[in-house]
Amino acid sequence: MTVAGSWGKFDSFEGRKFDVLDAEFTHAVTELLGGQDLTACFQCAKCSAGCPVSDKVNIQVHEVMRMLVLGIRDVLQTDMIWLCTTCYTCQERCPQGISITDILFGLKNMAFRNGIAPPGYVAARQTLYERGRLYEPTDWEREDLELENVPELDVDETRGLLERLGLMCLQEDE
Amino acid sequence: MTMRYEVFLGCAIPNRFNNYESSMRAVAEHLGIELLDFEGASCCGTVVLKSIDEMSWLGLSGRNIALAEKRGHDIVTPCNGCFGSLKDVDHVLHDSEEFREKVNEALAPLGLRYTGKVRIRHFVEVLYDLREEIRRRIVRPLDGLKIAFHPGCHLIRPSSVAGFDDPELPHKVDELLELTGARSIPWPLKLRCCGSPLLIASEDVATRILQEKMRSAIDAGADCIVTNCPACHMQFDVQVLGLKDEDGSSLELPALFVTQVLGIAMGLDHDRLALETNRVSLDPIAEVLGL
Ligand code: SF4
Ligand code: SF4
Repeated sequence: MTVAGSWGKFDSFEGRKFDVLDAEFTHAVTELLGGQDLTACFQCAKCSAGCPVSDKVNIQVHEVMRMLVLGIRDVLQTDMIWLCTTCYTCQERCPQGISITDILFGLKNMAFRNGIAPPGYVAARQTLYERGRLYEPTDWEREDLELENVPELDVDETRGLLERLGLMCLQEDE
Repeated sequence: MTMRYEVFLGCAIPNRFNNYESSMRAVAEHLGIELLDFEGASCCGTVVLKSIDEMSWLGLSGRNIALAEKRGHDIVTPCNGCFGSLKDVDHVLHDSEEFREKVNEALAPLGLRYTGKVRIRHFVEVLYDLREEIRRRIVRPLDGLKIAFHPGCHLIRPSSVAGFDDPELPHKVDELLELTGARSIPWPLKLRCCGSPLLIASEDVATRILQEKMRSAIDAGADCIVTNCPACHMQFDVQVLGLKDEDGSSLELPALFVTQVLGIAMGLDHDRLALETNRVSLDPIAEVLGL
């Protein structure tokens, strides 16, 4: 089954051959924010049971967790990574206390550096860098409602900051 | 108890949900909560920037927190996305010396420093503190109104960061809503994500989640859906327009912000509650709201 209009580079595990046991990759994931307890996953699938996209992805979140422990770098190509809504239901409930959602954020960072990201995110990075905001105020509506102008933001400040932090030159192995 | 906060509006509210800001300000004034303009605030980065690059996200929100810290004020925000993002950054910077040092190094040229003294709160948290005051001020009861309240994810999860309500059985905002005489009804998918964060990656999947949510609220007998987050409201009051079930029945329900519901019940000026800018028609509940 493919998900129409969805995100994702492969449709299912079927017929796929993976390079496994890439210990370096598993280690890199345990170093991510929230990654420290990754290897405690015992595959109960409680995370997937409460996940709002479990029935809308081809690789579910407990399978992602297994792929991480098995050192399968191709996990970055699964639709689950970018279709995680960041709802934190799994993380709240994991009996092993694994910071699943936070790990997925780290995987998104890795995928982005590898050029695997929905176009909306690439555009959002540019907007945030240029304007320091994702959306601009709608001034006519604010006037109608007699709301004051949104406080000024000096974008040179946020641009300089994001430059120092390297936002516009993200690369693999950084 | 301090009732003075820098108000962090974020980007979504001034862009599309000025009715939320206007009604929040009306409620705040009525209850004596002082909202200071947050000079120099940028976007919180939200889950979007956290997904792209965590270091940049820590820096961008770290700057916002440090600005409030420099001026000696706590922060209040009416947006779940900003609340979650600011609290999460605060949590990481508090716990990790390594990240704190990196962020402070990047903030130094701006004359800013994060030390962790600022308290970050959601506007509904402040309202919950004032619930007795609100109870006394209900002048226009909304008896009979059945509300499907949607808390939204980042107000309550992860509870180790949000620290506001029971993550599996939240009740605090429901209590506030019920002060008006309305009923916050149970509905099966109440705690389910609204799907809004996926609008950037896959509108199709975001919409399928929205359909499930709306069906659940409608089947439970709700008259309206109430939120405390502009991103969730985007789904319930914008994306939902014209949305139909597989059998062709409409999935629209009147959608209101918590501050609009409380404002009506406290008898505040309807112009300031900006009800005319809500997109889904409020006609089905106009009578009980006294519109
Ligand atoms: S809930 Fe936790 S332990 Fe269970 S499969 Fe998911 S990550 Fe593993
Ligand atoms: S945080 Fe992501 S993976 Fe976890 S339950 Fe929510 S959508 Fe699923």
